[in-house]
Amino acid sequence: MKNVIIKKQQIPDLIKHILQQYVLWGPVREDNLILYRLINSPQQITLDFQKVSLPPKKIVFPQTETLMRFCKEKDMTVEVPSFPKKPMVLFGIRPCDAKSFHLFDTVFLDDCKDPYYASKRKTMISVGLTCSAPPLNCFCSSVGGNPDDPTGFDVLMTELTDEYYLEILTEKGETLLKGFKGCTPATNQDLEKKNEVCDRAKKGIKREISVKNIETILDTIFDSPYWETIAERCIGCGICTFLCPTCHCFDIQDETAQNKGARVRIWDSCMYQEYSCQASGHNPRATQMNRLRNRIYHKFNYLPKNHQVLGCVGCGRCIDTCPVHIDIVEIIAHAREVTQ
Amino acid sequence: MVEGTELQREVEKIFDTANVQYVIGYSTDTRGFQVIPFFAKKKQDVAHLIFSPFCVSNLAMYLKNYKGSGKIGIVLKGCDCRAVIQLMTEKRIARENLVIIGVSCGGVIDQKKLQKKHPAIDNPQEVMEKDDDFIVMAHGKHHQIPKKEIVLEKCLHCEHPTPLIYDVLLGEKKQPYGSDSYADVREFEEKSLSDKWKFWETHFNRCIRCYACRNICPVCYCTQCSAEQLNPQWLRRSVTLSENTVWHLTRAFHVAGRCTGCGECERVCPMDIPLMLLNRKILKEVKELFEYTPGLSVDETSLLAIYKPDDPEDCIS
Repeated sequence: MKNVIIKKQQIPDLIKHILQQYVLWGPVREDNLILYRLINSPQQITLDFQKVSLPPKKIVFPQTETLMRFCKEKDMTVEVPSFPKKPMVLFGIRPCDAKSFHLFDTVFLDDCKDPYYASKRKTMISVGLTCSAPPLNCFCSSVGGNPDDPTGFDVLMTELTDEYYLEILTEKGETLLKGFKGCTPATNQDLEKKNEVCDRAKKGIKREISVKNIETILDTIFDSPYWETIAERCIGCGICTFLCPTCHCFDIQDETAQNKGARVRIWDSCMYQEYSCQASGHNPRATQMNRLRNRIYHKFNYLPKNHQVLGCVGCGRCIDTCPVHIDIVEIIAHAREVTQ
Repeated sequence: MVEGTELQREVEKIFDTANVQYVIGYSTDTRGFQVIPFFAKKKQDVAHLIFSPFCVSNLAMYLKNYKGSGKIGIVLKGCDCRAVIQLMTEKRIARENLVIIGVSCGGVIDQKKLQKKHPAIDNPQEVMEKDDDFIVMAHGKHHQIPKKEIVLEKCLHCEHPTPLIYDVLLGEKKQPYGSDSYADVREFEEKSLSDKWKFWETHFNRCIRCYACRNICPVCYCTQCSAEQLNPQWLRRSVTLSENTVWHLTRAFHVAGRCTGCGECERVCPMDIPLMLLNRKILKEVKELFEYTPGLSVDETSLLAIYKPDDPEDCIS
């Protein structure tokens, strides 16, 4: 498939082109935040950002999702919301975030296919954006990624000077750009420029850890006092889980009023005391240490063992935003020095 | 400016004489610039303790669930100390269970402001105070920045830079930097009702209900939070504008007359919700209506526990 060049001033036309046939999600600047929002007009989108404040998981796995509505009059009626028919484009996704969809697939599509997730995932086309200047806490290259990793994308854009280099990676990507007149074929010179940007980006990553044999190492230190020393300052909020592109735990509740109600699925956090509390009142993860350790093991021990995939893509959001600066890179790095 | 060595010396003395279980203070991560809350459990840990204008967090939060009987040492800035006083008036912890290492504070740095104004300073290695400026060292360069540009909002009108109670005081006693006229609240009050609602609607819509605001708050300590109660369920788990609004207003009212304005909820909010505008509106009302400011005196009764026989409200008298 051919790679193409698009001038920056043509991006609004590209957005208009996409909007004709697709539902579009893209990064929008709101105050000091960058958030993925549904896009109605090209002016909304910004491609000038380092990291999107919330990961794109909410697009395929909304924080609150109605699974069904019910109403009891004479008889009980149950209504399942209709699934979206129009295909969906995710625009301006970073390679780290794109990797998280692969992990979501193993959770929501493997053993038990989740129709709500599948309906969105099936039609999803993702247009990536190379991370040309990785911010301070990024470490994607330590966990199998890269600032220009094309995995999971249909199209990957790389910012050059006044233009973007577009790698068209799949048939879906080709279909997306079909009929759009604003592109010109990329030359070898463009490719060189693109490679320069990507090399610089890779060198720009400041943080590094080794995850080699991490699951085996963690197996030996489960009962170490190490976990207590990290968790003693943890306040037990949900920031690290909700801002994590791969955290996917949820709660299901029936929310009713009079004779009507809805069954909803809502993000949950293993950092909450209530998450693991059982109906009897017993909590198998009684302390914050148990909960924090579980989160680390889930990402670096259970998922690698059970699904041969790391549960961390190295986006660094949990490090950026933890109120007490618990740092997953330090946790993994120091785990190697801990003995049982 | 508080010297790290002076702090360490004082804490060592406390370990020698006061029979503390541990001392809660600040340290840095292994990169050397990210300040973290730190629990020194023995004399040897004292070497890790630091104090700098990056020591933003309010360590009083770690006292709210105090259940022991032993003594705890704690490093407190003026503002943090008010939260501890409030906890004492609410009988969460007794004075005799604390050894307070007070720090006379010259203002602390708002990392978000620093990043916005000086994006190049992404890993400040060291910071010093020089009169009304901070000198921040990053990437081998010194940057002299006026304090008022990068301190937390609360520092700009701090009335108690020196802790009101302490066992040891580090640094010279400082005069108030200003008085709090609640200018931000007054300005907001001028807006029309629809503008106010639009403002809060935008912010509450962004809330992800991570409850960091609650968990970091030194005075938010209910055994079971109303957000978690299921029967009756005061608040639905659905993350929607209406439920988010209920959450933030409920929390603001639950800390009314108790919030000491430390601003931790707003600092940690990943969605940048200006929660202090809500809390400060209530602080202002409490001050004007009841001539009461929380966290100023250990002997004061908590606002909501005060009863006056000559109360002007009929329903009371």
